[in-house]
Amino acid sequence: MKLFDNYNRISLFFTVLIIIITGIVYYYTISYVLTGQVDQDLNVEEHEIFDHVRLNHKLPQVFKSEDLKISFQPVGKEVIRRQFINTDLWNEQEREKESARGLITSVSVDGINYRVTIIESKVETEDLIRVIFLITLFIIFLLILLLFIINRVLIRKLWQPFYQMLDQITQFNLTDKNTITAPDTRIDEFREMNREVTAMSLRVRSDYQELKNFVENASHELMTPIAVINSKLDTLVQDSSLTDNQGRLLGEVYQTLAKMKKMNKAMLLLSHIENRLIQEEEILDLKYRINDTLNEFHELFSSKKIQITASLQDASIRMNKSLLDILLNNLIGNAVNHNFEGGSINISLSQGNLTIANTGPSGALEKDMIFQRFNKSASSEGTGLGLTLVKEICETYAFGLIYNHENEMHIFSVQF
Amino acid sequence: MKQKKPVKLLVVEDEPGLRDSIRDYFNDGGNVCETADDYNSALQKINVYRYDCIILDITLPGGSGLDILQQLKQNRYADGVLIVSARNSLDDRLKGLDLGADDYLTKPFHLSELRARVMAIVRRKSFDGNHLVIFNEISLDILAKSVTVNNAPVKLTPKEYALLLYLIANKGKVVSKNAVAEHLWGDEIDISDNFDFIYSHIKNVRKKLMDAGGKDYIQSAYGMGYKLSDQ
Repeated sequence: MKLFDNYNRISLFFTVLIIIITGIVYYYTISYVLTGQVDQDLNVEEHEIFDHVRLNHKLPQVFKSEDLKISFQPVGKEVIRRQFINTDLWNEQEREKESARGLITSVSVDGINYRVTIIESKVETEDLIRVIFLITLFIIFLLILLLFIINRVLIRKLWQPFYQMLDQITQFNLTDKNTITAPDTRIDEFREMNREVTAMSLRVRSDYQELKNFVENASHELMTPIAVINSKLDTLVQDSSLTDNQGRLLGEVYQTLAKMKKMNKAMLLLSHIENRLIQEEEILDLKYRINDTLNEFHELFSSKKIQITASLQDASIRMNKSLLDILLNNLIGNAVNHNFEGGSINISLSQGNLTIANTGPSGALEKDMIFQRFNKSASSEGTGLGLTLVKEICETYAFGLIYNHENEMHIFSVQF
Repeated sequence: MKQKKPVKLLVVEDEPGLRDSIRDYFNDGGNVCETADDYNSALQKINVYRYDCIILDITLPGGSGLDILQQLKQNRYADGVLIVSARNSLDDRLKGLDLGADDYLTKPFHLSELRARVMAIVRRKSFDGNHLVIFNEISLDILAKSVTVNNAPVKLTPKEYALLLYLIANKGKVVSKNAVAEHLWGDEIDISDNFDFIYSHIKNVRKKLMDAGGKDYIQSAYGMGYKLSDQ
């Protein structure tokens, strides 16, 4: 629920509640005041009767009236208690009952006691109350309408800077160059938030850049010691007094060193690509490049008895040549390395789309995980950076890269 | 490789561990390998002596290796230059080659790879028009990429040819399988079982050479490498 929807709901509830309470209070107050007035009328009427009786020593004549009815009833010794009552009055004209207020009192004419009942219609009072009720309803309705309009127009406009900022935060990407720019606003809270978010994005970016530089520098600095170890090993194995066991151990050292070298190179290359340091581009004949790579892998295919099906149409691609080589080597290399003997690889190329599909012993791979650094199967002897490199290269040139698993085939497609 | 006169090399490298290893590796074969450890001493040497090949590091104390290369070219010295750098950036590579370097090698590298590259430069620089690499009865034609044993042609695949040339350039040296793999496939390709290929390539080369009447010069070394030698 939106903040102002939430706020509106609460404020509307309480406003309506208060209006209803006010209406009820109004109703009772007004009906109390009006009843008092009617009672006063009745008092006046009573006095007139008493005056008439005192002067004329007989009961006054009763006229028929729409809203006032006076009646006399002789009573014996009974004592009449003077009291006001709520009662009804039959309206002949309207042919309906009207609520009314009555006064019961007594008068004595020539020693005979009469009960006097004066009844006055309250229909006007009721009408007034009805009007008050309608006005209250109208105000409630008006209020809801007003809140709705405020919600739609005013608040939406007020929150505009917030949504602009939210949009930018959503689109914020560490590896992009574009920064967050604070939208102009006069609202203090938003201004403060914008300032903090902008500062934070800059801080995060500079931290990230520092980290990237550190990785690059670290990989770079590691190259020299690796080079020295490598050269010392190359020198050591020339020693003719080595035993077979020592030779075997050195072989393992070579293997480990080669892996370390590869990983370091891949890390260096990754930060190079991420830092957009590789800029030379040219238009390359993709079909030719793929055939070239397939040639390189030719012996591997035949020794693993892997069936290659390539349907290549002419296609060109604009990118860096070394990066294309790395892309193809990694994708095709993976298709071979993660294949089984007698498996197959299908490569299809058309302008804008390259698809490499291979059979493999493993089931579908996790789409979210495979492109992450150092994510690899336990059996893999690779660096765990191959597909990360592929992904980085694709992102650099805004190529699409999709992995699918269909019909027992691992399918990687690049849209360029 | 047929070498009538010893090859004269200069190693310009500030990292002592690497410099000594390179010198020792190249001095073995009767070549002359001098060293320089900074910009100024390197400049002094190239202004006085001529070398068949200079192995030049780019980042040096006191200056850039690229400036030394520029000096060489300005003076029209014909020394071969192999740039060696820890920087894999394409910029450096292109700059180096633009300035007239003969080759570029990224650290870390195998000494056998360095030697193969240096030998290739020396061969190209020798003006005797000889594009043959000869090892006893085996002869490799660099231009035609063909091999003969006792003048009888031997048919090798491109990879087998590259392997043989690599081993001959490093004759008498143990060359590790890793070095061979990187030479044949490059180090950007992650091939899990490339050692099996090296084994089968070696087997094929030996068989083809022996079938053509050559001697068996290639030996396995401790299971971790190979050595081509006539001793």
